[in-house]
Amino acid sequence: MQHPLLTHAEKSSLRETPLQFDIGDTVDVHQRILEGDKSRVQIFNGIVIARRGAGTRELFVVRRIVGGEGVERSFPVNSPKIEKVVVKRRGRVRRAKLYFLRERVGKATRLTERHEKNEE
Amino acid sequence: MPLGLLGQKIGMTQVVGEDGKMIPVTVLKLGPCPVLQVRSQELDGYDAVQIGFVEKPRRLATKAERGHVSSKVESKRRKRLTGAGVTLSPKAEIEPQRFVREFRLDKPAEQAVGTTLTTNEVFNGVKAVDVIGQTKGRGFTGVMKRQNYAGQPAAHGAKKVHRCIGSLASLASNRGGGRPKKGRKMAGHYGNERVTIRNLQVVRVDADEHMMLVYGAVPGPNGGVVMVRPTNKKRKPQAAN
Repeated sequence: MQHPLLTHAEKSSLRETPLQFDIGDTVDVHQRILEGDKSRVQIFNGIVIARRGAGTRELFVVRRIVGGEGVERSFPVNSPKIEKVVVKRRGRVRRAKLYFLRERVGKATRLTERHEKNEE
Repeated sequence: MPLGLLGQKIGMTQVVGEDGKMIPVTVLKLGPCPVLQVRSQELDGYDAVQIGFVEKPRRLATKAERGHVSSKVESKRRKRLTGAGVTLSPKAEIEPQRFVREFRLDKPAEQAVGTTLTTNEVFNGVKAVDVIGQTKGRGFTGVMKRQNYAGQPAAHGAKKVHRCIGSLASLASNRGGGRPKKGRKMAGHYGNERVTIRNLQVVRVDADEHMMLVYGAVPGPNGGVVMVRPTNKKRKPQAAN
């Protein structure tokens, strides 16, 4: 159990509205990048393959294939530099860590799409 | 030296800084600390404030510990002295304290016995602090861990000496003494010693929760007792941002 004071210390650094996505989703991560005094938004697109940690230390890992090479980036869930995470496609997966995707190439990396039954 | 507070190391985490960077912080619970005794130049030969931290059940406290914080505990000495008309030094009139420490001061103390100190009084506007703690004990430790020696090769004919110290001395290294110099670094007991980390930046103070966040690490295990005082270093602490 985490000490209540630790939770209290982290509270102000947490996101007010949590990011909405699941493991296996294909997402666009909108990240604000500071260049000198200007800032712009960079988008990283890929599949969420893992989510780990708790509190301010919580991370999620996004994997994509760039030029035939697998690229994985981990983002802090509560970083204010992550503006938003847009879910492009929902994937139907049965485990929390999709590390098996690392050994797969080409068509085998696809995940079955998940369709919500009662989507409004 | 300035007056500080006693506290407990809660643990480490990260918080978001001003420009969105994550800052590594240690969470400390500081005080409230009652003043148990005030040392003065005339009586004790030095100026200091003695403070306590965390109450201790009476059944676990010795009679001396109970008598130190309360004038209600009867003793032969008290009876004899009061009978002779001597006024005894004031007591805080509280429960026995689990941890009792003194903070030495450069000038006579302004705090009175019985007052309770919190982060509000002691760390108002303080930007950097010194943290004193007892490091984690590591037992009998080899030279590679304790002194950062490099050890010896894994191969090239090295046999069973991969983590050994190597040469202790040469004939010339101690002016022809033919034996190792005094103070030679060797294997031995490591950790479980008092360590002061100076000039740690104060990231945040929450007086309501008796909480302070300091930048970086602090000696000791989570739950360990620490002494925290405003630093006297002039240089700015290593910045969090």
